[in-house]
Amino acid sequence: MSEDLATLRQEIEDTPLGTEEAIDGFRIRFLSRKQGVITALMKRIPDIAPENRKTYGQDVNALKQRVEARLEEAQQALSSSNAPGTDQTDITLPGRVVPEGSLHPLTQTMDLIVHAFSSYGFQIAEGTEIEDDWHNFTALNFPEDHPARDMQDTFFIEEGKTLLRTHTSPVQIRVMKSQPPPVRVIVPGRVYRNEAISYKSYCLFHQVEGLYVDQGVSMADLKHILHAFARTLFGHDVRMRFRPSFFPFTEPSAEVDIWWPDPDLPGGGRWLEILGCGMVDPNVLEAVDVDPEVYTGYAFGMGVERIAMLRYGIDDIRTLYENDVRFLKQFKS
Amino acid sequence: MIISANWLSAYVHHGLGIDALENLLTMCGLEVDGLEQIGSDLDGVVIGQIEHTAPHPNADRLTCCTVSLGTGNPLQIVCGAPNVAKGQRVPVATVGTTLLLPDRNDPARKTPVTLKKVKLRGEFSEGMICAEDELGLSDNHDGIMVLPGDAPVGESFARWLAEQRVSVHDHAIDVAITPNRPDAISHIGVARDVAALVASPLRLPEVAVPEPGGAAADRISIDIEAPELCHRYVGMVVTGVRIGESPAWLKQRLTAVGLRPRNNVVDITNFVMHECGQPLHAFDLAMVEGRRIRVRATRTEQAFVTLDDKERRLPEGTLMICDGAREVAIAGVMGGQNSEVTDETTDVLIESAWFEPSSIRRTAKALSLQTDASYRFERGVDPTGQAWAAARAAQLMCELAGGTLVDGMVDAHPTPYEPRSVHVRGERARAIIGVDIPVERVEGLLAAIGCTPVRLEKDGFPGQDTPVWDVTLPPYRPDMEREIDVIEEIARLHGYDNIPEPERSSIPNFTPDPDLERGLKARVRSQLASRGFREIYTNSMLPVEKAQAFLDPALPAGQLGERVVETLNPITTEMAALRPSLLPGALDAIRFNRNHGRRGVRFFELGRVHVRKQSDRSVIDGFTEIETLLLAASGVWKKQGWTGSERDVDIFDIKGHVEAIFASLRLVGVRFLPADGPFPQLARMEWDNTYMGIIGCTYASDVTGQAVCFAELDWDAVSAAALSLGTVRFERISRYPRVDRDLALVVNKQVPVGTLLADIVEAGGDLLMDASVFDVFEGGQLSEKERSVAFSLTFGAHRTLRDNDVDTAVTRILEAVATKHGAQLRA
Repeated sequence: MSEDLATLRQEIEDTPLGTEEAIDGFRIRFLSRKQGVITALMKRIPDIAPENRKTYGQDVNALKQRVEARLEEAQQALSSSNAPGTDQTDITLPGRVVPEGSLHPLTQTMDLIVHAFSSYGFQIAEGTEIEDDWHNFTALNFPEDHPARDMQDTFFIEEGKTLLRTHTSPVQIRVMKSQPPPVRVIVPGRVYRNEAISYKSYCLFHQVEGLYVDQGVSMADLKHILHAFARTLFGHDVRMRFRPSFFPFTEPSAEVDIWWPDPDLPGGGRWLEILGCGMVDPNVLEAVDVDPEVYTGYAFGMGVERIAMLRYGIDDIRTLYENDVRFLKQFKS
Repeated sequence: MIISANWLSAYVHHGLGIDALENLLTMCGLEVDGLEQIGSDLDGVVIGQIEHTAPHPNADRLTCCTVSLGTGNPLQIVCGAPNVAKGQRVPVATVGTTLLLPDRNDPARKTPVTLKKVKLRGEFSEGMICAEDELGLSDNHDGIMVLPGDAPVGESFARWLAEQRVSVHDHAIDVAITPNRPDAISHIGVARDVAALVASPLRLPEVAVPEPGGAAADRISIDIEAPELCHRYVGMVVTGVRIGESPAWLKQRLTAVGLRPRNNVVDITNFVMHECGQPLHAFDLAMVEGRRIRVRATRTEQAFVTLDDKERRLPEGTLMICDGAREVAIAGVMGGQNSEVTDETTDVLIESAWFEPSSIRRTAKALSLQTDASYRFERGVDPTGQAWAAARAAQLMCELAGGTLVDGMVDAHPTPYEPRSVHVRGERARAIIGVDIPVERVEGLLAAIGCTPVRLEKDGFPGQDTPVWDVTLPPYRPDMEREIDVIEEIARLHGYDNIPEPERSSIPNFTPDPDLERGLKARVRSQLASRGFREIYTNSMLPVEKAQAFLDPALPAGQLGERVVETLNPITTEMAALRPSLLPGALDAIRFNRNHGRRGVRFFELGRVHVRKQSDRSVIDGFTEIETLLLAASGVWKKQGWTGSERDVDIFDIKGHVEAIFASLRLVGVRFLPADGPFPQLARMEWDNTYMGIIGCTYASDVTGQAVCFAELDWDAVSAAALSLGTVRFERISRYPRVDRDLALVVNKQVPVGTLLADIVEAGGDLLMDASVFDVFEGGQLSEKERSVAFSLTFGAHRTLRDNDVDTAVTRILEAVATKHGAQLRA
């Protein structure tokens, strides 16, 4: 090795490489394409006498490898000084804030209900909020001038013809008119009632209704599916009761209560109504050209607000439409 | 409807405590909505005899009494009543008794008080001799209640009262009557269900129903001129009544169900209505001109004064009761002032009729006047019950008002009731209910509510393993017509809780189409929630003027029509129209939160908006309803923190989120076209030349005056576009390195960057993989008309790119932007 190369070798070994700047300077001094010392030595290879060329090449190459090795060591040493325990970062400073959003409690409750029934093989259908009298009332066996119509105070848009749907049942009629049985469908949506606004009623609310029409469907099947649902929503030891009621579109009709434990009450709790249901009235099946002698079916419907209020302990329905962030932020997503 | 538990017990021995009765009613479809205890049970009140009296040594108006309760251990009781005297038999509340004592200033307010042994002005008093008001028997507080001399000393006062048919302790049961159960709007009707369920006989009062005709027919005549609206009209006459107060037991019955006693005759008609469900009306016979009743509908609109002294406008076609000269009552709704029973009345005509339900309902609705009578008629009263009810009332008027029954009755009956029957198949009942109920039980349950099931010969019904019945239906159940109605009764009386759930149920062998649209909605909702937006639900109804203001052609619904949808019968003018946009609701929510001190909000809502216009999206003729997605943000967007300073939202924050939504739906190349409209910074969004929505800025009118940046997307259009793309097709990933090039272009400020970028993408050809804006610069050496826009371009291909491949593409881009916009490479 020539003396020049030996001096260079010394320099390579001795240059301190403790900082980013020193490393960069070292790299440029030796390896830069234009002014690097090693690069220049490499470029001189063709000028070396052929008999010395091999040794010279090996020597220069060895120097280059040393440069690269030192660079790598230095780089590693530098970055390892940023490792845990050795750095100056105050990790207790709060992280950069990611803004928090939320899904409305009605969306969350509706999703819960819809997912439960989807898992029992129900398809999902939706319809319009503006409906006609035939789909909302007549086809559902509400006679004209009958007190049954008082059960659902209606907003009319055109006298006796167009209205805001009072329930999502008209969608069931539309589904049955568009496909032959079996029909196994669940219908979520917004409905309207012309009632005074108070802590327990609002001019609109949301429903999820279900319908199953097939051969051999009975009330026992209805009890089965609704009990399954009650367990999904309220836990495996939920107590449930069916009591007779009246809806024009089902017969027999029932309302379903669940037992809501409350140690402050005299009986240790109370029964709370969660939904209405029944066997589809033959008049309804006939209205959609389904033979009630061949097919039977059940239907059920529930108010999403009522279930949400029960689940979350909300005592005033109007809070759900106020959109106060202090309320919304409690529900996360 | 209120049912008195005591009154109910008059018709059925059920032996149930009040809680068990409540449960039984609720579980048979007569839902108990409320239960109120009436009066004290008087437990601890016994009959005593005053053995000795002496003036109180320290008080002039008090008397010290020695009272025997028949135990041989007399009590000393201090009494303040003026009428107390030796030898009287009196009700004595002993120590420990709880009485509901009336407030002296407000006798209607009662508070429970438990008696203790006390010292009154130095003398012991071990109980209280009671006045009627203290026992809940009346409002009388003039003196102590003095009982007859034969009242047994030592006996429970409550038991003695019960023997006198008086009970002060009762429960008012509020039963929610469903529209299908007109039969249950009476005590007998409810008792019938109770009797059926506890298998005990229904006990009805003995009533002698007269034969039609007789002397009554000479006193009055009845003509039904509208037989389709009045199927039956029974009239009975009672003469010589003395109008006065009703006896205590009758008043108690009425107050228990929430009625105010008036006079004996009116009270009796109300009593009978609540007993059997048949509304009755009592006319002062002297006021019935020509002793003649005619039933007919009005032919013109006219006025009539009802017995509540109000003049009412009757629409044409109102069914009226008329005498020989004029109208005397609105049929089935309310009597007239001109013929009502007064203190001077001596002769009474009792009306007991059957009116067509829908006619009564129309009248009651038109007059906004629902009465106990109309409530029952519009649901349908028993068409066979008129004579019984009239005779029952007549009998009570004779007993309680000293009247004399005029023999016979007038029974105008143009439309006689035809007994109805229906075939009911046991098999069908099993199919609907899902359980086999023994034949005998079915027959027993039906018989208990007044049906007559007759088993038919099996031969006529091949394939039926269980019996087929011909069931005669009770006249008081107009809701029962069809086989299914009878099956419902079987299930109801058997008990829904006795229907077992199957171990397993099958589900139909069909696969519903996956609900992709709903899936997209769920995805965009959760994406927005995780990007910091809060979901809101706003009212769909708002004032007409406000709705009209938001029906702007820039917004999704405004694209489709110019008229808002109004309701005919809004609750208030504040809610008379349906929202044409989700924006007004969000602005309200922003204002609400700002007023509550919130400095920054970001909201979204997915909901339906409406416009009165026929379109290709109409489901109901003349109306278009679409779903839109609204994003709205205002105030602080980024909070002050140690890593950066606070700043407010601007339109590019919202635009970024909208672009993220489009990107997640794989809608590439959505164009934002600057648009004119009522809002600043407005742009229409289009994809594949289809309108997708709008973004812009507006203000929520409030003190802060801060801008609200928003976007409203026509979600139906966005969703359809996204679904049109189908499933993702995998694209092979290039193994070759990409080449990055930056271009800084100097261009006139008037040239929109979006246009420039679109032209670059177009000119870049297949090799251009990605293009984005990384800097916009004005000033410096640039002229005032110019700005510099820097783009970062990435080229790639499934092969090694050569320098001149990229150079060719860049040249093509530079030529394109130079030709179209005069853009030059920045020096």
